[in-house]
Amino acid sequence: MIQIQHVSFEYANAEKGALYDVSLEIRPGECVLLCGESGCGKTTITRLLNGLIPHFYEGNLSGSIRVNNLDVRNEELYTIARTVGSVFQNPRSQFFCLDTTSELAFGCENMGLPKDEILARIDQVTRAFHLKKMLGRNIFELSGGEKQRIACAGVSAVQPEVLVLDEPTSNLDVDAIEELKQILLYWKAQGKTIVIAEHRLYWLKEICDRVVYLDHGKVGFDLPMQEFVQFSTKRLQELGLRALMMEHDTFPEEESRSKEKIRLLDYRFCYAKSGHPALALSDLAVPAGSVIAVTGHNGAGKSTFLRCMCGLEKKFAGTTVLHGSKKQRRQMLKECYMVMQDVNHQLFCENVADEVALGMAQENKEQVEAVLQELDLTEFADRHPISLSGGQKQRVAIASALLANKSVLIFDEPTSGLDYRHMKQTAELFCGLQKKNCTTFIITHDPELIERCCTHVLHMEHGTLQEFYPLTAENEALFEKQFRFS
Amino acid sequence: MQAVLQADVGHRGVVLDPRTKIFLLFTIALFVLGGAGGDLLDRYVACFCMLPFVLFLLAKKWKRACIYLVIYLAAYGSFVYFGPRTTGIANFLLLAVCGILSRFLPSIMLGQYLIETTTVSEFHAAMNRMHVTEKISIPLSVMFRFFPTVAEEFASINAAMRMRDIRFGGKNAAKMIEYRMIPLMVCSAKIGEELNAAALTRGLAGDVRRTDICEIGFHLQDLIFFVLGLIPYVVCVVGLFQ
Repeated sequence: MIQIQHVSFEYANAEKGALYDVSLEIRPGECVLLCGESGCGKTTITRLLNGLIPHFYEGNLSGSIRVNNLDVRNEELYTIARTVGSVFQNPRSQFFCLDTTSELAFGCENMGLPKDEILARIDQVTRAFHLKKMLGRNIFELSGGEKQRIACAGVSAVQPEVLVLDEPTSNLDVDAIEELKQILLYWKAQGKTIVIAEHRLYWLKEICDRVVYLDHGKVGFDLPMQEFVQFSTKRLQELGLRALMMEHDTFPEEESRSKEKIRLLDYRFCYAKSGHPALALSDLAVPAGSVIAVTGHNGAGKSTFLRCMCGLEKKFAGTTVLHGSKKQRRQMLKECYMVMQDVNHQLFCENVADEVALGMAQENKEQVEAVLQELDLTEFADRHPISLSGGQKQRVAIASALLANKSVLIFDEPTSGLDYRHMKQTAELFCGLQKKNCTTFIITHDPELIERCCTHVLHMEHGTLQEFYPLTAENEALFEKQFRFS
Repeated sequence: MQAVLQADVGHRGVVLDPRTKIFLLFTIALFVLGGAGGDLLDRYVACFCMLPFVLFLLAKKWKRACIYLVIYLAAYGSFVYFGPRTTGIANFLLLAVCGILSRFLPSIMLGQYLIETTTVSEFHAAMNRMHVTEKISIPLSVMFRFFPTVAEEFASINAAMRMRDIRFGGKNAAKMIEYRMIPLMVCSAKIGEELNAAALTRGLAGDVRRTDICEIGFHLQDLIFFVLGLIPYVVCVVGLFQ
């Protein structure tokens, strides 16, 4: 079905993701997992298959790529689109239409199919993917998991022979991943050929037949899944891969006692448009200086909760007791800093040194240098923040928050789409913040991150508190129940 | 979270055909913003400017309709009332502020109405029916998709700026615009690229004629608005011959 022969590729304007003499053959109906560290070239292979390379991303390409007897290099993208369907990482930017029904029809419309045929296909995917309730809705109102389901359904309606997925679970919670798994099984049952580039591996154990590991643009190994699942967690970590099984170190026996508490009073909020409450927390006290994982399903109100705490929601009237005094919205804005999922939103200056010093009350060179040193940013002090890698940008944002004397740091899914090594680095960074007496809140779906650096888990559903517990040996069962991971 | 500038597909009130909306927008831009028709229409322009108000009401956007009505009437009223009664710099300022408001506002509001009540596929279908080439209609429909995205990005950047205490009156007030534009451009470029790639892998811009499954068509309400929209043209033409 897919033949990649001696393909080398280098992007015209990036060093990462190049491929060197890669050959790969995939038979019809096979399901192949592409894995490896960030920048190893797995996304590049997906782009070779759907024709975005060389028709959209420019660079030096040699070798031949054939998909279903199409020569990808010499076919137009719209011809390839009939054979290869693609699902991408970011659900926000892969929709062309703004309502679900037209989105499902989009691919078929582009093929110029007759209207009745399109309606029949929409009907079919609606039943296969259980989308009845989602038809005719605004895409911006859907949760991440629902968006990804619509994306899969829209691709499925075109009925391509080959499906290519590039990190489809980056923004999904455990249940949404389970739904995606069902979709992949459905495709498999139809005999489609599937190629997935992914960091999270555990959910693919029963789906993929074959695992291709890429190492710096070359094929490291190409094994059947049965052999791959035998790998120990340690071996996977050495390869820079995420775990296949949930294994965690033993949690501490006792909660580290901190005297100071942050009390959250009257945390209630509702969005003007929808009318029903998005957040209704009973009064809650969390220990200052801890690292708190805020968990729950997509749409459980985690972001709303932390936006309210930050003081970003103007209509929020709750109060927070911090450092022993009651603080209203505006004062919290001075105490908190949120590192967003897309860090690009919060980098404003021309170089890193200016950037981190922006929020300081008084410029203090030594202090700036000390913080840069601590976060491994000294060598980038003169670089433009936008030109850094994702992890470096995240560290710049943290540095600017520390220098602005913020005592509460909030992270929105800091490890989505990170490989093992980068996830570990991020976890170490959070442990470091704890020593600086910052209280850290992390919105995350990543049990490996929680297990590594968090001291408490705050589990939310439907805008209310489900449970709040310290990560101690006693609560191990609770943690495992929430992140059942097999 | 419902952002601005995006079609609300759930509850939309009375639906007009996109072609009617485009015709109305063109008409109002020509006669109100462009001032075509001159003295002949001067007295009726205010009536014509009630159009966005009526349309917002029909689209169930009550608040927007009222705000528009108040601002427009205030601008137009003070223009008419104070215009002849003031002189010098006051007159100049008044003319500038109220003149601009009463001339630009209706077209801007109608443009917003067009974007907020039309889905991408409806717009594309309308373009298709008017036999506009895909070279024009695809970029235009991409714009429709892009507005809400940029609005969303803008909101995130705003939040980031508030957390870093960059605001009017702060020590970095002079750089407000720069701080806002750079991340906005970076993020928009990135999203634009991703959107583009996603659309291409789904076969946009192919060699076959696209089908459109969404229902558009002229109804009674379209007829009414078309006739209304034709009035100024008729007045102009009749005026020419008198």
